[in-house]
Amino acid sequence: MSKYEYIPEPALVKGNHDFASITKLVTDVNLRPTPKLWYLYMLIANALLGVFLVAVGYLIWEGTGIWGLMNPVGWGWAIINFVWWVGIGHAGTLISAILFLFRQDWRTAINRFAEAMTIFAVICALMFPGIHVGRIWVIYWVFPIPNQMYMWPNFNSPLLWDVFAVSTYFTVSLLFWYVGLVPDLATLRDKATDKIRKFAYGIFSLGWTGSNRHWWNYEKAYMILAGLATPLVLSVHTIVSFDFAVSMIPGWHTTIFPPYFVAGAVFSGFAMVLTLMLITRKVYGMEEIMTNDHMEKMNIIILVTGSMVGFAYMMEFFIAWYSGVEYEKAIFLLRATGPYAWAYWIMMLCNVISPQVFWSKKLRTSVGFTFFISIVVNIGMWFERFVITVTSLANDYLPSSWDYFSPTIWDVLTYVGTFGIFFTLFLAFLRFLPMIAIAEIKAVLPQADPHNYDEVTKEYVPPVVEVPKPKTERV
Amino acid sequence: MDTPKTVTEQQPELYGILAEFRNPKELVDASKVVVEAGFDKFDTFSPFPIHGIDKAMNLQKSKLGWIVLGHGLLGFSGALAMITFMSVMDYPLNISGKPFFNIPAWVPVTFELTVLLSAFGAVFGMFFLNGLPKLHNPLFNVERFKKATDDGFFVCIEAADSKFQADQVKQLLEEAGASHIEEVYD
Amino acid sequence: MSEVTQNTYWKSLNELAQNQEYKNFVEREFPENATELNDGVSRRGFLRVMGASIALAGFAACRRPVQKILPYSHQPEDIVPGIPLFYASAMPFQGSLTGLVIENHEGRPTKVEGNDLHPASHGNTNAYHQASMLEMYDPDRSRRPSRNGAKSSTADFATFASEYFADTNKRIAFISEANSSPTYNALKNSALSKFGNASWVTFEPFGEDNIIEGNRIAFGSRLRTHYNYTNADVVVSLDDDFLAATHPNNVEYAKQVTGRRKVTSTSDNMSRIYSVENGFTLTGSFADNRLRIKASEIGSFANALAGALSSRINGLNAFSSVNNSFSNNEFLTALADDLASNAGRTAVSIGLDHSAEAHAVVAAINYALGNTGSTVSYLEVPHFDNQNNMEAFADVVSGMKAGNFDAVVLIGTNPVFTAPANLDFSGALANVEEVIQLSSYSDETSKKASWHVGRSHYLESWGDGFSYGGARSVIQPQIQPLHDSLSEIEFLSTIINGAKGSGYELVQNTFNGYYRTGFNNKWKDILHDGIDITDGFNAARVRLSNSIAPASESAVSGIEVVIRPDASIYDGRFANLGWLQELPDPMTKITWDNVALMSPNTAEQLGVKNEDVVSVTINGTSIEIAAWIQPGHVDNSISLTVGYGREGIGRVADYDNEQKAGGINVYPLRSTSGMLFNSGTISASNSTYAIACVQDHHSLEGRDMYRQASLSKYRETPDFASFAYVHKYEVPGMKEAEEMDEDAPISLFDEQTYPADEPQWGMAIDLNSCFGCGVCVIACQSENNIPVIGKTEVNRGREMHWIRNDRYYVGDDTGSPQAVHQPVPCMHCELAPCEQVCPVAATTHSDDGMNQMTYNRCIGTRYCANNCPFKVRRFNFFNYPKEYLTTGEDPDIIQMAMNPEVTVRFRGVMEKCTYCVQRVNRAKINTKIETGSPKPADGTVKTACQQACPADAIYFGDLTDNNSVVSQMKHNERNYLMLEELNVRPRTSYMAKLSNPNPVLVKETNQEPAH
Repeated sequence: MSKYEYIPEPALVKGNHDFASITKLVTDVNLRPTPKLWYLYMLIANALLGVFLVAVGYLIWEGTGIWGLMNPVGWGWAIINFVWWVGIGHAGTLISAILFLFRQDWRTAINRFAEAMTIFAVICALMFPGIHVGRIWVIYWVFPIPNQMYMWPNFNSPLLWDVFAVSTYFTVSLLFWYVGLVPDLATLRDKATDKIRKFAYGIFSLGWTGSNRHWWNYEKAYMILAGLATPLVLSVHTIVSFDFAVSMIPGWHTTIFPPYFVAGAVFSGFAMVLTLMLITRKVYGMEEIMTNDHMEKMNIIILVTGSMVGFAYMMEFFIAWYSGVEYEKAIFLLRATGPYAWAYWIMMLCNVISPQVFWSKKLRTSVGFTFFISIVVNIGMWFERFVITVTSLANDYLPSSWDYFSPTIWDVLTYVGTFGIFFTLFLAFLRFLPMIAIAEIKAVLPQADPHNYDEVTKEYVPPVVEVPKPKTERV
Repeated sequence: MDTPKTVTEQQPELYGILAEFRNPKELVDASKVVVEAGFDKFDTFSPFPIHGIDKAMNLQKSKLGWIVLGHGLLGFSGALAMITFMSVMDYPLNISGKPFFNIPAWVPVTFELTVLLSAFGAVFGMFFLNGLPKLHNPLFNVERFKKATDDGFFVCIEAADSKFQADQVKQLLEEAGASHIEEVYD
Repeated sequence: MSEVTQNTYWKSLNELAQNQEYKNFVEREFPENATELNDGVSRRGFLRVMGASIALAGFAACRRPVQKILPYSHQPEDIVPGIPLFYASAMPFQGSLTGLVIENHEGRPTKVEGNDLHPASHGNTNAYHQASMLEMYDPDRSRRPSRNGAKSSTADFATFASEYFADTNKRIAFISEANSSPTYNALKNSALSKFGNASWVTFEPFGEDNIIEGNRIAFGSRLRTHYNYTNADVVVSLDDDFLAATHPNNVEYAKQVTGRRKVTSTSDNMSRIYSVENGFTLTGSFADNRLRIKASEIGSFANALAGALSSRINGLNAFSSVNNSFSNNEFLTALADDLASNAGRTAVSIGLDHSAEAHAVVAAINYALGNTGSTVSYLEVPHFDNQNNMEAFADVVSGMKAGNFDAVVLIGTNPVFTAPANLDFSGALANVEEVIQLSSYSDETSKKASWHVGRSHYLESWGDGFSYGGARSVIQPQIQPLHDSLSEIEFLSTIINGAKGSGYELVQNTFNGYYRTGFNNKWKDILHDGIDITDGFNAARVRLSNSIAPASESAVSGIEVVIRPDASIYDGRFANLGWLQELPDPMTKITWDNVALMSPNTAEQLGVKNEDVVSVTINGTSIEIAAWIQPGHVDNSISLTVGYGREGIGRVADYDNEQKAGGINVYPLRSTSGMLFNSGTISASNSTYAIACVQDHHSLEGRDMYRQASLSKYRETPDFASFAYVHKYEVPGMKEAEEMDEDAPISLFDEQTYPADEPQWGMAIDLNSCFGCGVCVIACQSENNIPVIGKTEVNRGREMHWIRNDRYYVGDDTGSPQAVHQPVPCMHCELAPCEQVCPVAATTHSDDGMNQMTYNRCIGTRYCANNCPFKVRRFNFFNYPKEYLTTGEDPDIIQMAMNPEVTVRFRGVMEKCTYCVQRVNRAKINTKIETGSPKPADGTVKTACQQACPADAIYFGDLTDNNSVVSQMKHNERNYLMLEELNVRPRTSYMAKLSNPNPVLVKETNQEPAH
């Protein structure tokens, strides 16, 4: 009896799947007739979308005054929601790019799905900078395009950096996602039976044949994109954090923001991926591909990033005290004890305390519990942005200007409405596009590796896991 | 079923010989054989990229890297040029007393545009090198070829190859262990 | 276009819009926009109506009064569009005139300024003067006479008057507001001589009867007390808020008092101010030593002071026996010593509404101190009625009840609303056959009157009168009357002669009487200068009567309820002026409402907090009003202000159910026995009433944005205001800067430099002069077209004022803290944080160092406002100007109050103080034309706030000119920068406050800025 027990890496795909069965499992979702339930969900999503349209319509008609904004709190829910959605939009690219570079093959099960979520989240985020300005009809002035004033945007402004950062991030994520989709669209093209699908998938698969000469360039391109997306994904939330860090408001003017925001983004992004994954895999019976091992790995990342965020909170306090700046000290004390203490402690509970439970293997492998925490985390991250944005503005330098921010119904409806956008797009994605990267999953099956075949018979020989000899001295 | 309908309509023009193999291993070995036989106008097809097949087919290093580098440099210099023109030359404004030529503030935009252009280079460069989009392909005339995106592994030697002779090619592929061989017409 | 005649021009503006013939005309002129004509809400529509009308009826003639009036500063060959003209005039208030200069654009008055030559103004104004501009353009002003509620006309009224008053035996009661006009008083006398059975009373709810009566008791004749604080080393205010606009002479007094506190070097001296009061007034917050006592104890305090003085100086033996609760009061003793040792150079005053006896005691004190002639003079005012008007008024009312009058003629007063409740004035009106009233608005009294006649505004009618100190002026109209209205002179002459006559001739005749020769030149000079310096009131030579005795003491034992005029809307006459309604109360910072002020202790005893509704009861009458805690208020005393809770006056004044704004009518609690204070009961209710207060936080949190010291400390450590002294270390980056001999802390980058030929604008605000009245706010609002946004929006925290007046409570004694005032406009930082964050470069820096806002480039991200450490940027959350300028049936009129030199901002753009860039640039252009250099001489440019400030607390000018006043102030050791450590380099700086407390009474807490 050895005192070591060797635990081999769990197989990436459970059950004995071969290439064909995987193709079938995934493509059936798109090719079989639409299930009734899907229409129901879509209806709900569209209703929420309607709420969004109404809220924004009224906003454009009346003006930003319908929100709770005032002096000194010039930024409210709109900016909070923007940062929140962008943060969520970080998981996808992170999973596809960074985990790809680190050769984390387990990403293949979730990357397609996470990338889709990313793109839809960024779409929701992009709504807010657009609508929160006072004169929506001239928002295009933030782009460097010639206009009747012969004026150009101000390249010193973090908001302008934001415009470039988020739009670039959106474009690159979209390209990345599409490149990954091409071979799978080809699969759907070849599986599809009806004219419309044949035609549509045919167009979008660009005539992909699976030629290995193509795969050769394709893999190169994918690798380069991953290499580009990695610094990009880190830069986006860094630049979003500049909106605050570059200003001079106590509680905003903080050098720790970039890493702290990125960690927070990954934190909330993974939580959101989990929330969606756990539902989807149940509904579509994909447990064998999106396995509990994936869930556990992601929970570990949540634990790590959650702790990083917690560390950042502590650090802020320390620096505020250590800097000796009275305004900094004041704002951080006010956050924890002032009029917004309730928001602050919700944030602490959800973001710092709750993920710590994942130290326990039992909990981080429990589906129900993970689902619960994944939601708690995203609530917490919303409050983090609330605390940062509102409290700092409400109690800054001159006490005479201090005031208390309270939102209106329109703030709430606009936020709720963005879920309509998100779920409408997400449901459409599940229905019409392969939610799993088929080609990539096949590539990580043991059958895909020529070395797992007998040289002579050329028959498949499943790889054997060698258990290393325990080093035990015997005398 | 094997003969595409195009034949009946007009003078059938042979495009090449298509052979199917059972698994990645066979495909890799087969491509070695084909290369040794001195063919260069041939291709292999699989639902996923196969490890080591590039050597077997002795493919050249991809030129994509250079394309991306070019685009990246374009994005970088283009961004700097644009900002300099806009905020130093064309319409300089005293903003917070900062110098017009305020490089540190330009870093984010420059970085983003560099990445953006590089990404365009990577994606469209890849499509360009692969000759995509290519919506008409003789191989699509072969019903069986649909498996190429599912679980089929194919080799196709094109008639355009100088060494191409239909029967010899068929024989060669048979020896390589093809499970199914047929002619592809355009 | 026959109907477009000169006289009816303004009235016809609206008619024009509907008039078919006119439409056709305009459609011919402006076919593409013809549709907009009916659209009253469109500013473009309005401008075109103007343009078109100009085309119709000649340019200058149609707006300028027919009589020749002379420009103040430059003679117009003709009006040059865009170049404003300035005419002298004067505003009557409380029976006194303040000399003004009115800015006219194309014959349309747009801005009120003070008249340098006028003693009651010295070029400055108070909030009422500034807001009177809006009053003239108020669409809710009475537009035409009404007969028993039915529309009528001045012509009909004249016909009626000629018939009705043909019978000279009519028993008529004339009830008039205080009016100093010689023409008016001449007419009054002829009225009394014509109608044998007529009686005349002057009624002002907060008049000066008690002063006059007090002086009669003390000196035997009815005189007005007039102070000259320029000579006063020690100023004592017994509940007399002479710095507030509610005092008829506050501009002159503020000028004098602050003038004695201009300290520029350690060798300068300051006057010392004592204040004894129940509430916290502006005067109290400006005082060096303040004592909180009940208003009902002021009389006792006066007695005790006289008593204490009787042992120190001669002439007060009558008081030697006084012995009451204050006799051994520490404060009083110190005060008495100070007064005695400065005898002859002191000034003691007591609140207008305190008893005549108390006034007599104060007169005796001043007399005994030998202040008469140096700091106090007693003026013989010819137009004073020879009666105690309060009593006379009561008699008239009872006469009316008894049916002793056929007609009541009310001139400018609104007794139904303002008269003491116990007189039941409206009841009395019922017994009168004809009630004829002249008033600006169709007010509570008008509704009960058989004849209501609209009163012409002073800016649109001829008049004359005397300043508080006796300077004689002519009131020049700036414009033809907008409505079918009469001035009080024309009104009275209509009643006497049956025809309104010409106000111009009436006034000219009066002045003709003053001169034997050379009248025409005299007349020109008077009109030109706005003042007739030949003669004013005579100072009486007074002797203290032997019968002088201590005032009867009437201290209220329980809770006293004190009723005062409101800082914003006075007795209610300004209730419909949005500017004033939205002007934060100088002390409480409350807008749009009145509240029951009480001390923290009293509130605690009652168990109420801010916004809790309490019911205040006096003799069975009670009102429900929101409570508000006023630190520094005396315990067991409730302060109320009148003028609110109106109905049917106008859309601004009326109580607004939707917004829950408009306040509570307090007059029902006021009775002849308790005009100022009365004992009452107060009880908490469980309901609340939202109050729109623009400042939520009242502590400095130990921060250093307000710095102050006592005069003695200043002499020890002249640099007490410097960052280094306050923080015990240099401004970060300063040492390095000194090494590189720069004058400002180092920064990371090479900053922009400014062209040498441009002026560099800067501002210094002297906190030692500012007493917090808030006229700067209104002046700015008037100059810069700042919209009124209403209570709901203010309550949301969206007030739009470009300059705000922060008020902090300082000191550890929460019961009696010190209150400090700090005006905060845009700082125009050289390294402005707002500029770098704007994505579209909508706010940038100009060559003359101003932080400029480009409205038409702004997209409204509000990032600049967020990043402003001083929070001075204001955002148009809604289309405020639309609400403000286009309500009512005749929006065009209020649009005329707008300054054509300043853009009216649209929804979704940011705005803020511009240093009055329109004035700056006009001056630069003119100087450039004259001298070729764009650097105006020092003093040529005045910002609106600076020009209005009666304390001259604001200095503005070119910093490149080392001799400019502002440069010198900035080199003064009291000068400091707010938030200097941020290194944003504000162009607006502050000069630390000094106080000069009596060393005997020094409380540590009041001296140091809280740290």
